[in-house]
Amino acid sequence: MNDVMEPPVQTFLRVAEVWVPEGDRLIHKAGDYGSMEGFASASVRESFAKGEGLPGTAWAEGRPVVLKSFDGSYFKRTQAAHDAGLTSAVAIPIFAGKVLKAVLVVLCGGDATHKGAIEIWKDQGDVLMLDDGYYGEAKDFEWVSQHTHFMYGQGLPGAVWAANMPILMRDLGQGYAFVRADSAGKAGLKTGLGLPIPMPDDKSMVLTLLSSPGTPIAHRFEIWDARAEAVGASKKAVLIDGICAKEGPLWAQQNPPVDPPTVGAWQGPVGQVLGSGLPHVHSDATGLPAGYSTMVGLPVYRETELAYVVAWYL
Amino acid sequence: MSWIDVGALDDIPLRGARIVKTKAGCVALFRTDEAEVFATSNTCAHKNGPLAEGIVHGKQVTCPLHNWVYSLETGEAQGADEGHIATYPVKLEAGRILLDAASIEARSAA
Amino acid sequence: MEKLVVIGAGMASGRLLEHLFDAAPEKFEVTLFNAEPRGNYNRIMLSPVLSGEKTYEEIVTHDDAWYAQHKVTTRFGERVSGIDRARKVVTSPNGDVPYDKLIIATGSDPFIIPFPGHDLPGVVAYRDLEDTNAMVKASSVRGAHAVVIGGGLLGLEAAAGLRLRGMEVTVLHNTGHLMDRQLDETAGYLLQKDLERRGIKVITKATTKTIAGDGKVEKVTFEDGSEIPADIVVMAVGIRPSCSLGTEAGLEMGRAIKVDAQMRSSDPDILCVGECLEFDGNLFGLVAPLYDQAKVAAKTLLGEDDAFKMRELSTKLKVTGCDLFSAGDFADGPNREDIVFRDPKRGVYKRLVIEDDRLVGAVMYGDTADANWFFGLIKDGTDIEEMRETLIYGPAFQGGGGATADPLAAVAALPPEAEICGCNGVCKGDILKSIAGGATTLDDVKAQTKASASCGTCTGLVEQVLAVTLGDGFAMPTEKPVCNCTDLTHEDVRRLIKSQELKSQPAVWQNLAWKTPNGCPTCRPAINYYLLADWPLEYQDDGQSRFVNERNHANIQKDGTYSVMPRMWGGMTTPDELIAVAQAAKKYDAAVKVTGGMRIDLLGIKKEDLPAIWADLNAAGMVSGHAYTKGLRTVKTCVGSDWCRFGTQDSTGLGIKLEKRLWGSWTPHKVKLGVSGCPRNCAEATCKDIGIICVDSGYQIGVGGAAGMDVKEVERLVDVATEEEVIEWVVAFMQMYRENAKYLDRAYKWLNKVGLDWVKEVLADPAERQALVARFDISQSVYQKDPWAERAVPSEAVKFQPLADLTQEAAQ
Repeated sequence: MNDVMEPPVQTFLRVAEVWVPEGDRLIHKAGDYGSMEGFASASVRESFAKGEGLPGTAWAEGRPVVLKSFDGSYFKRTQAAHDAGLTSAVAIPIFAGKVLKAVLVVLCGGDATHKGAIEIWKDQGDVLMLDDGYYGEAKDFEWVSQHTHFMYGQGLPGAVWAANMPILMRDLGQGYAFVRADSAGKAGLKTGLGLPIPMPDDKSMVLTLLSSPGTPIAHRFEIWDARAEAVGASKKAVLIDGICAKEGPLWAQQNPPVDPPTVGAWQGPVGQVLGSGLPHVHSDATGLPAGYSTMVGLPVYRETELAYVVAWYL
Repeated sequence: MSWIDVGALDDIPLRGARIVKTKAGCVALFRTDEAEVFATSNTCAHKNGPLAEGIVHGKQVTCPLHNWVYSLETGEAQGADEGHIATYPVKLEAGRILLDAASIEARSAA
Repeated sequence: MEKLVVIGAGMASGRLLEHLFDAAPEKFEVTLFNAEPRGNYNRIMLSPVLSGEKTYEEIVTHDDAWYAQHKVTTRFGERVSGIDRARKVVTSPNGDVPYDKLIIATGSDPFIIPFPGHDLPGVVAYRDLEDTNAMVKASSVRGAHAVVIGGGLLGLEAAAGLRLRGMEVTVLHNTGHLMDRQLDETAGYLLQKDLERRGIKVITKATTKTIAGDGKVEKVTFEDGSEIPADIVVMAVGIRPSCSLGTEAGLEMGRAIKVDAQMRSSDPDILCVGECLEFDGNLFGLVAPLYDQAKVAAKTLLGEDDAFKMRELSTKLKVTGCDLFSAGDFADGPNREDIVFRDPKRGVYKRLVIEDDRLVGAVMYGDTADANWFFGLIKDGTDIEEMRETLIYGPAFQGGGGATADPLAAVAALPPEAEICGCNGVCKGDILKSIAGGATTLDDVKAQTKASASCGTCTGLVEQVLAVTLGDGFAMPTEKPVCNCTDLTHEDVRRLIKSQELKSQPAVWQNLAWKTPNGCPTCRPAINYYLLADWPLEYQDDGQSRFVNERNHANIQKDGTYSVMPRMWGGMTTPDELIAVAQAAKKYDAAVKVTGGMRIDLLGIKKEDLPAIWADLNAAGMVSGHAYTKGLRTVKTCVGSDWCRFGTQDSTGLGIKLEKRLWGSWTPHKVKLGVSGCPRNCAEATCKDIGIICVDSGYQIGVGGAAGMDVKEVERLVDVATEEEVIEWVVAFMQMYRENAKYLDRAYKWLNKVGLDWVKEVLADPAERQALVARFDISQSVYQKDPWAERAVPSEAVKFQPLADLTQEAAQ
């Protein structure tokens, strides 16, 4: 593996922020804004009622929401976002059973080389159809995706749907599920992270993050298993899969796995997700793997149990 | 020996103690087990703490004031502390506690 | 240098070369043959490559650079044609190679059932990257059909991978349930349901007749005349040793090349590793024994002694989202007994097979958390008689030693980036660096890295990192046991009282193997507290396990007399109460002192007078002030908005409400409250265990203050708007402290250990808060009673008198 990582010209996700319910409003819990101080200060003093703005809409609708353009929309921080060069956003509500734990909002900028995808796939009974997605400049891939569906167990979305757990896929261009492989390859989409998004109405959705090396979502992805079935009664998690541009694959090389990396609740950044049950945005290098300066950790619930933690690092 | 009935065994809680007033001062009766009672001086050799208020454990008592520990069998202070308390013959008969008056007399005479 | 030739670049030979180059880098000049046109890769990871979850590059174990570095001559893509033992030469079409020592690591060949049509294009085995790539290619046609023959480990992994690739997949299995060599019927059934859920069809007891097609595979037909379409057929029914080189070279053969425990064949210069050998009648397919063989073979080559031993094997299925574990032997037998656990709702099935009080087999489906523990029991042949009843519930139920996984193992597994000290942002790597720089004690590490220099919560973790890194060089200061009666810590005891449902002191002494008959003055009050806090309804408070003050409900003084302090709610009193106090003081000749907690203390009361003075005070409506307990002491208040021109809220009223709710409860150590009506803080609430400051917008609740030997300001727990919320949060905090803290830890000490953040997170959940409040109220239903009133009645008062008075009798 390369020891030197080319610094990306621009990352696909520019901002990640966590909103948590307090009383009847969503308040700002954490955020990574890079150098966008204006947008950061506009955000930290904001709060949203149910149905208000993007986070409030995701809460009210109980599902992920994609906003491809801010102008004329219900987005509340439009001016500050414009000033920071942000053009679109996705809000992902995290429910534990019927209780909203938090809303993760990611914001993207718009430029000509901006390729990557955030997709939301919806359970239509026997197939998964694209509900909405943000693709940046990967227009062909967007068109293909809109005209694709996945059966149970098929492809990254179908696999996540069937296994009901987060799945990481490498080399999407290398024949990842028929039609899309070709156009994924052309769009430069290489790594895919899929995670189940349980909805309060018991329907399920699948969120996929597809990352290209040019404008990456992350250089490192991790999936941690926190189910009692896997780790026992104590609150901890084991690393079951991961990929790192610096360290290579992050999974146990032995079968059965011998001493996989484990974190306890509140231990390190991943432990924060485990301990709090909330998304965690970590915006300094302390406690992160060498060479990384930001991390987003997301809890994945099954019913009310925190079952997995997914994390991505830049 | 002259045994005096001082009370019923069940008047002392298990692992507890009661005192008996005598002319020579208070005697403490410790019930260490269902049917086991010891009698000693109630007064700690250290700072006169009331031993009957201490915690009874095994065949020992720990003084409530400064944690001196005494063997109820020998009256010797345990561990690093040096000291001694008087012990008195006591016996159980039909659920009654009998104390040897003579030995207590002897103490007051001494 | 000796010439070493290795035939076969698989997992076993790769591991062998690693051992060899580690131990003696210059001893051998190595030539490595491989029939596949590539070097060593992790063959057991082919399934995730098939599914697309991993890439081939990720499973390469040795790349060209590695071979170059160790000067290995690679002959990849070349099939060895024979071994000339007389000349000690390996023959190959592209040139012969002489050897001093030879390793045969040719592995195995897939077993192909000779159905008619088995040789059609489109029929593949599942053995190497070529097969994998053929399957990937077949999956690129939309709606294509795959048929997998064989419902074993390999077949199912192939099926799951192909399904992920988008194919319509059918698994044909000839027996009644999937993975019949590793699973019993029930587990096989659960697995089948899981696979069907993800769109894989499973046909058991399949009677395949032919594979048919015109020039390539098109369908599979069955004995009953039915057929299913197939664009690719994957034959995954088993493997057999690939050992024809050995036969042709005249080595002693069984089902494979026979070797001794040093991995030597009948020709001592020829060694074998991997699936191509037979040892003691056994063949090998799983990776763990292959690695053992590689280690032994390397030792043999280096002239060192070692011997291969058979060991128990376990299997995990690499199908994403299936939790399956199987180990040992679970066939029925006359002396065998089963323990079965089913949880249909969670889809969990566990079966343990026991023979002669030893665990010999385990199958787990849906919950494999305890797999390694069970595997250890099988491997070590542990006598399980004593834990038989609870064995199936896993290690957490076994109590005492071995109850939890070794915490050091977890610390050892932490990556260097793992944060150890949250306060100062010190990660394991920083600590490792300081250890590498010579630090050998906690204080060294603390001085150099600041780890554990703030709240100290991570002290144990830092010590564990030291222990893991320095091994024997660091004597781990073990957490102190409760006392000399036991080796268990307070934390252990609390946990075991809950998990083993120990509800009496004798139960604790017996089950936790106390070394003394009935404890000592150190453990007895602690155990008594833990029992009454955890089992308020079941456990009977034991006065003989309490210090004198709590047993006599008054504070003993140095002369053996007592002090008596009635409660004054929130510091409020009335003229009638004051008259009653004054009369009592006179009657019992007490010294009178006004305390810092806003109450009146009557000093110098004789023990035998206690019930009487209590009766007098009770008559005036006063109850015990609990000035002597590890429990709620006072709630100090200022006059608040009723009288004070600065007061923002009714601090006195709130203080009284809190006191009336909390009084009588036992806690690990004393608890003092303060409620100040404004930030001027006249009630000194900021140095109490729980302190409330009223502000215009509501109430600030702080916790963990102290003003004893340590002076500490409270830290903010939460800000709330209403009195009801204050009471709910305070009660919930009290109960959390009651349930979790070590006996004799004040709230601030407990908070230092567990971290305020954790407490905040727990209490932030309204459901948690309400549950804590509910448990507190259950406890209060038993313990919120005036102990004075209970003891002021004649039947109890007599116990405060001497048992007998011999001063009279002796006079007679």
